[in-house]
Amino acid sequence: MRKNLFVSMFVLVIAVLVLSACGPSATPTAEVPANTPVPPTETAVPTIDPLGMYLPDAVSGDIVTAGSSTVFPLSERMSQRFSEEGFTGNLTIDSIGSGAGFERFCVNGETDISNASRAIKTSEAESCRAIGREPLSFRVGTDALAVVVSSENTFATDVTLAELAQIFSTAGNWSDVRPGWPKEPILRFIPGTDSGTFDYFVEKVMAPANLNAAGKADLALGETAILAAANLQMSEDDNVLVQGVEGSPYAIGFFGFAYYQENAGRLNILSVESVTPNEQTAEDNTYPISRPLFIYSTAQIMQEKPQVAAFILFYLTHVNDEILDVGYFPASQAVLDEALNTWHTAVGK
Amino acid sequence: MAEKLNGLDVIGFPDRKEGLQKKHRIGETIIQSLLFFAGFFSIFTTIGIVYELGKEAWLFFRLPEVNLWKFLTGIKWQPHIGEFGILPLATATLVTTAIAMLVAIPLGLAAAIYLSEYATKKTRNTLKPVLEILAGIPTIVYGYFALTFVTPLLRSIFGNGIVEIYNTGSAGLVMGILILPLIASISEDALNAVPRSLREAAYGLGATKLEVAIKIVLPAALSGIAAAVILGISRAIGETMIVAVAAGAGPNFTLNPFKGAETMTGHIVRISGGDLSYDSIDYNSIFAIGLMLFMLTLTLNIVSQRIVRRFREMYE
Repeated sequence: MRKNLFVSMFVLVIAVLVLSACGPSATPTAEVPANTPVPPTETAVPTIDPLGMYLPDAVSGDIVTAGSSTVFPLSERMSQRFSEEGFTGNLTIDSIGSGAGFERFCVNGETDISNASRAIKTSEAESCRAIGREPLSFRVGTDALAVVVSSENTFATDVTLAELAQIFSTAGNWSDVRPGWPKEPILRFIPGTDSGTFDYFVEKVMAPANLNAAGKADLALGETAILAAANLQMSEDDNVLVQGVEGSPYAIGFFGFAYYQENAGRLNILSVESVTPNEQTAEDNTYPISRPLFIYSTAQIMQEKPQVAAFILFYLTHVNDEILDVGYFPASQAVLDEALNTWHTAVGK
Repeated sequence: MAEKLNGLDVIGFPDRKEGLQKKHRIGETIIQSLLFFAGFFSIFTTIGIVYELGKEAWLFFRLPEVNLWKFLTGIKWQPHIGEFGILPLATATLVTTAIAMLVAIPLGLAAAIYLSEYATKKTRNTLKPVLEILAGIPTIVYGYFALTFVTPLLRSIFGNGIVEIYNTGSAGLVMGILILPLIASISEDALNAVPRSLREAAYGLGATKLEVAIKIVLPAALSGIAAAVILGISRAIGETMIVAVAAGAGPNFTLNPFKGAETMTGHIVRISGGDLSYDSIDYNSIFAIGLMLFMLTLTLNIVSQRIVRRFREMYE
């Protein structure tokens, strides 16, 4: 009995070994045809022959992207379209915040594309160069930072930048900001410290309200002020913030406009300095807290991995078809043309 | 069938034993060494974890801006701006754990007493697996159950103005449900292990069923029950997904269960969820929290083992 068991187990093990040895030898032969370039026929992108190799269905392999949770919905949509147009490889997008995205891009060098809701910092660009990566930026659109309260909130409709700074730092109750507002504690929901949205808010709103000894806006003081506030909840996941703000008439939060648009029924958006965020005010820069959205890569990555170059080209060409629907605002044609120029220089075509 | 096989085994036993002594069987050696490696592997993993935790936590405590006393007594946790007081995280862990135990101990014990003293064999055989299904539900599911069912329920009872959308109370309640089967199952084993003769003696003296259960069986099984409770507490302290989803996402120094507050585990999850760079002080700080958690649960487990040994009643 027992001997039989051993024999059958032995046979089983051998069988598994043989089978697994067969596996890999079979795959390479199967992969070869996939690599042969598909001749360019009819195209949606500019029909210049050399670009045929950058069509979605002409490239293969994986694309690894990570970064801003603000850019995430846009990149996700573009990646969807990219796959619909025939890209068969794997495209991953991690929504981890702009700072963490650059960490992976510049320090660990793991990603091909870094999404960011702010321009790369000098220190980040330096660490990129230290590992031989010269970051190239492609501007893909504009976000109007949405300052939102719950739809149950009946008192707040408009704030000034100074009031905003107060709401997110020293004010304990709403009545501390404006006497007419209720005497209820302010519940704050903000993006985590490594998100570009947080950095941007600190730079645009908190720093100007927190001057240093020399009377200049101070980033560190602004950051300390907002992080020291009471009833503060932070998350890198914007949906957590949406849910939090929605939950109480005395809650307030801020995040990318797309997340407001997705949940417009349950949230009220505040106008800032009497300007309501919309396509026009974001584009002509009258809305005081609108900001550029970027994707970053390098010329070397784009040359070594044609699929990355193809995705960026596709992104730049088609972003304006989708961006309003995702919830952001288009960058001007001049800006997009400049990004396309950068692309052409990078791939040498 | 099984009995027959057993019988054969017993008869054949002496012969086989001789064969074992004479012949060196390679299969046996291989299996023995595999088993040894399996055991060694778990020990090695533990050593590795302790080493890594200790190393990274040391990096944190060595920093000039960190001070052990302030770490243990500070009431603000915001590493980004140099505030390292673990108390807000610790109180949140305390509140969720206390609420969970308030739910799990009475219900778990009651279930255990019912299963071991009152239930017929048939009911027991159906109820126990059902109870254990509770333990098999993924904790993330419990988390969303807390956030989307228990929180709205609490808010409809106490009012939206009092209960925040993220609150430690609902996380604690649901955690109690999660831990209930653990306590019920271990306690029931302990109650079952009390010899029948004790019960019969009590019945003989005229005790009612309830008296036997409460005054005889329960005290006799106390060591096992205490161990179950302490294991439950360690489980509650270490529980992560429920609190990460439902308890809140910001350190908040409060004992109010209706307010949002982040527990130690919840904070680690949020911070390690990718929003921090590896060489920042925030990153090192999560290992200090991890070390605290590890020491807490280790202490509790040691205490529970002591209790079991010290208060075990021997009936042989």
